[in-house]
Amino acid sequence: MANTETTLKEAMASIEGATGAALVDYTSGMALGTIGGSKGFDLNVAAAGNTDVVRAKIRTMEHLGLKGEIEDILITLSDQYHLIRLLKGRGGNGLFLYLVLDGKRANLAMARHQLRRIEADLEV
Amino acid sequence: MTTVRTPPPPRLPVRDRAAGTSANGGVSPMLSRLADERATGVLIREHGTLYLADGQVVHAESPSTPGLDVLLAARGVLDAEAWREAVAAAGARRRVGRFLVDHGRIAEGALELCHLGALYDAAYFVLGPSGSPTRFRYGAAHWLGPVHPVPVAALERETVRRRELLHRIWPDPATDTAPLLRSGLPAGPSVPLRQEAVLGRVDGVRTAADVSVALGRPAFHTLVDLRRLAAAGLVGAVPAPQPPPLPGVLTQPSADPDVALLRRLRDALEAL
Repeated sequence: MANTETTLKEAMASIEGATGAALVDYTSGMALGTIGGSKGFDLNVAAAGNTDVVRAKIRTMEHLGLKGEIEDILITLSDQYHLIRLLKGRGGNGLFLYLVLDGKRANLAMARHQLRRIEADLEV
Repeated sequence: MTTVRTPPPPRLPVRDRAAGTSANGGVSPMLSRLADERATGVLIREHGTLYLADGQVVHAESPSTPGLDVLLAARGVLDAEAWREAVAAAGARRRVGRFLVDHGRIAEGALELCHLGALYDAAYFVLGPSGSPTRFRYGAAHWLGPVHPVPVAALERETVRRRELLHRIWPDPATDTAPLLRSGLPAGPSVPLRQEAVLGRVDGVRTAADVSVALGRPAFHTLVDLRRLAAAGLVGAVPAPQPPPLPGVLTQPSADPDVALLRRLRDALEAL
């Protein structure tokens, strides 16, 4: 059992290379909580913008008639990874976790694994 | 040869958003002042109420939005019975939220997320344009108890951002409040499932608030979906009824010279 603040703190502490994280509502584009980020990287702006990414992907899957659910979305930049994990749980319906990783330090497989665990902590 | 140097043109004025909002007192000047003085109590506006504790917003309620209990029930997190039980047991102590978590009814994180969603949702309507004066009752506290306080500045920023978001999707606010009507255009496969659910509840009578309660979704989310549907030409507002023509104008004395003329004309015609 954890609240949103400790969840985000834990994400930053336990995921190697994490430089910022946000918990975002993807209909309104609001960040319910953010941690990290910097002057040059406004997590609130990133949160609002990435809702369009999630929305577009969900819509495309519906067009295609795909029944599977999106677990996560990975965006690879030259020096960063952006990982979006859609929360499925009862409280987190319509939310996603957004994680910014330093490309040089991050271990993607570990990061995805940790995110799954953190999601579970938040919900149960 | 001489070159004429003209001084650079004066810089165009740039509206400093932060300064601009504080100069106008933000979304609600009274709310900013209450935040500054770290007030505790309830702010009552035309479209709902905001509860403050130590100058931070701890709870918001609006008749335009489904309450936290409706949202929790719709998501299958907490049924109405468990909610009633918690209110009965801990309402008087104003610790309902704590009670639910301590008794394992809901995870702390899940309660926080739902509560934050409901708080921002209701606050959007509370802080909307208002035609009646704002009042504040010092000392009042909500029975839910503190869950996750939100700074007033963050709430105002988010409320303004939400207004701009709606405006960007479709600038006509008619679908926000009026009864809704389907346009009759076939909803193609381009309508996402979430919006389809909203579309299914549009019946010429329900408003956005009614649709939200029926679906157990935050009302602002419904406004977003409706503006997208309006932009796609699938939904519109029922036009406001035309005021019925005033009956019996000609039989009543009137100062209007045209009516007086018509009456004389009628009398003359009848006298023929």
